[in-house]
Amino acid sequence: MSLIALSGEHVLVRNNVRIVGNPHGPTLMLSHGFGCGQDSWRDLVPYLEADYRIVLYDLVGAGGSELDAYDHGRYDSLHGYAEDVVQILDALDASDVTFVGHSVSSIIGVLASNRDSSRFKSLVLVGPSPRYVNDGDYIGGFEQADIDLLLDTLDANYLGWSAAMAPVIMGNADRPELGESLTESFCRVDPAIARHFAHVTFLSDNRRDLAQVALPTLIVQTVDDVIAPTAVGEYVHGQIQGSEFVLIDSRGHVPSLSEPATLARVIRDFLK
Amino acid sequence: MTSPIEDSFEELYRHAPCGLVSTTPAGEIIEINDTLLGLLGYRRDEIIGTQFIGLLDAGAKLFYETRQKPVLHLSGEVREVSIALLRADGSSLPALVNSLVLTNPDGSPRITRTAIFDATARQEYERDLLLARRSAESSEARVRVLQDISSAFGLSASDEDVARSFVEIAREAFFASAASVLLVDDIGGLELVAGDNALFGRVPPIDELRATDDVIVVTRTDAERDYPELAVVMGEERVESLSITPLLDEPRRLGLLMCFFGRDRNFDEQFFDLQKALGRQASQTLIRVRLQRQLAMLALRDQLTGLANRQLLQEKLSLAISAAHDSGKPLAVVFLDLDGFKAVNDELGHKHGDDVLREVSRRLRDAVRQHDTVGRLGGDEFVAICEEADLDAAASIADRIRLAVRQPIEGLPEHLPVSASVGVAMYVPTEDELPTFDHLLNLADHAMYEGKAAGKDRVTFVRR
Repeated sequence: MSLIALSGEHVLVRNNVRIVGNPHGPTLMLSHGFGCGQDSWRDLVPYLEADYRIVLYDLVGAGGSELDAYDHGRYDSLHGYAEDVVQILDALDASDVTFVGHSVSSIIGVLASNRDSSRFKSLVLVGPSPRYVNDGDYIGGFEQADIDLLLDTLDANYLGWSAAMAPVIMGNADRPELGESLTESFCRVDPAIARHFAHVTFLSDNRRDLAQVALPTLIVQTVDDVIAPTAVGEYVHGQIQGSEFVLIDSRGHVPSLSEPATLARVIRDFLK
Repeated sequence: MTSPIEDSFEELYRHAPCGLVSTTPAGEIIEINDTLLGLLGYRRDEIIGTQFIGLLDAGAKLFYETRQKPVLHLSGEVREVSIALLRADGSSLPALVNSLVLTNPDGSPRITRTAIFDATARQEYERDLLLARRSAESSEARVRVLQDISSAFGLSASDEDVARSFVEIAREAFFASAASVLLVDDIGGLELVAGDNALFGRVPPIDELRATDDVIVVTRTDAERDYPELAVVMGEERVESLSITPLLDEPRRLGLLMCFFGRDRNFDEQFFDLQKALGRQASQTLIRVRLQRQLAMLALRDQLTGLANRQLLQEKLSLAISAAHDSGKPLAVVFLDLDGFKAVNDELGHKHGDDVLREVSRRLRDAVRQHDTVGRLGGDEFVAICEEADLDAAASIADRIRLAVRQPIEGLPEHLPVSASVGVAMYVPTEDELPTFDHLLNLADHAMYEGKAAGKDRVTFVRR
């Protein structure tokens, strides 16, 4: 598509890129999953910042990203997000980057490195799923009806107190700061974008893209992840030649919050 | 301690007017009150020790894991989350949920307390709102597509202008990563007129797809089966699916509207309906704009000969005068009047006269240079506007014209010869005021008359 060429600076603002940690260390790019923003790495960063230069950013539509930059066509597939990753790395002129992607972002990392692997060193995929909906012999863990229920849940939650609605409810549409306290300050997402992103996340099929990965890759899975069942992690492991697979003894889909120390250790061991 | 009226805190907990449940940081249920057990239809021993997430329906599970839990972890509480719980009998319990995390002295989470309110009534009301909103959104998309924009294009609109607009509308209406309009060219091929089309020129034309009468969708999997060459390029260009909508002016084909998608989407009936509607819109707009252009062209052409008429000559000459003034390059205006034409008309009738005028027009067009403008002022008077022509160039053009006209005309008897008296007005730009159209034309006209008076079939020059 014909995008107006963005300056590097603009790319960094668009994606609310922040760099923390050791400026002389190897670069880790942390990419958050569906439903949250870069704050989902809050508890992991302290375990890594002494040794690594850490690039944090928000997917467009989440956290402090530029909502105006959300083009429905561009972000109608994960390729749009993958292109953003490449643009960010170009803007930073980064090299030998280890991309740590959580959930849907693990696939975004796969697509970004398939698109242009020159700036990547390796991939860490945390709870990856190339396809959430079951398909014949392939078990993704969900049926289309489950995804529809999620969309209902999203709509139900954003109907009353979304960032867009809160000021209206408060009767102070001209003074948005009064509505602010009704909305969450963590994991800010735009409701309309979250809805479209849910479609893109949970209804994409990126199974074919896995086989093209040519980078050292680590797959991290928790023992009881309802979003990405272990079988899916194993599938990803089987599709990416030479990949490593680590099972963390922790429940849930977000080990960066539930088991940050363990996740940090697993990442360190992989990078040794 | 209990107030004298309440029996006990335990009683208050167990039968509180909302469900209460406590979970470990790992999500295991360690306490639950009777109210919640009653709402869900479980016995206490069936619940204690199980995972809280096990009480949620599939949609709520996805939401809980990806959003509610991270937010709860980061901020320590969530309020009024709307999720659906599953009852023992498999039915769904819409609920509003508040959760609060209690921490250890070191800040690590110790326990999560959750209050659950039956929101069945509210849910039904919200469901109606939700359905209303979704239907409003989808009809909004329809309106955007169906809005009549054809009248927005003025006389000067080109096919490209129309194509560009519809590419934009299609991209927005269908969330397409790219869209393009291809139009049938003069030799029956397809030309990429607007938008982005990463496949164009990279895959040999597939007649079956190009000749479609209806909206079609091709996924990469379809392509692998039916059009392997297309599938390869789709893979390289990250196109997982595409749609093709014919633009028709029955029975003629105008072209195609194509949309490209980075994933295999659920292409439902609404998608096909909207594509069809948009295709119809685009076709009608193209037809209208082309018709407008044709009418505009006719209004500037001499009907008999197809040459520029007086109005167009005036516009062209005015532009040429300013251009000459700006560039400093001389401009020649060639005026000619036929000798012997009146006799043809009188003796053979108007039909023969018209034939002569048409033949002379053809010869004039051949005699001038490619970018010169030839027009008919009326009767047997013609004008050629020759930009960037110095005296020598103008002289040779004028002489070519004179010689071309005097050649015998088929069907005319020998005693009725036709020739041309030609007057040339040269405008050599100076700092002086610009001449007007009328001024230059009159000069050329006078030069022509001088020539005619001096014996016809000759070229006379005048310089401003």
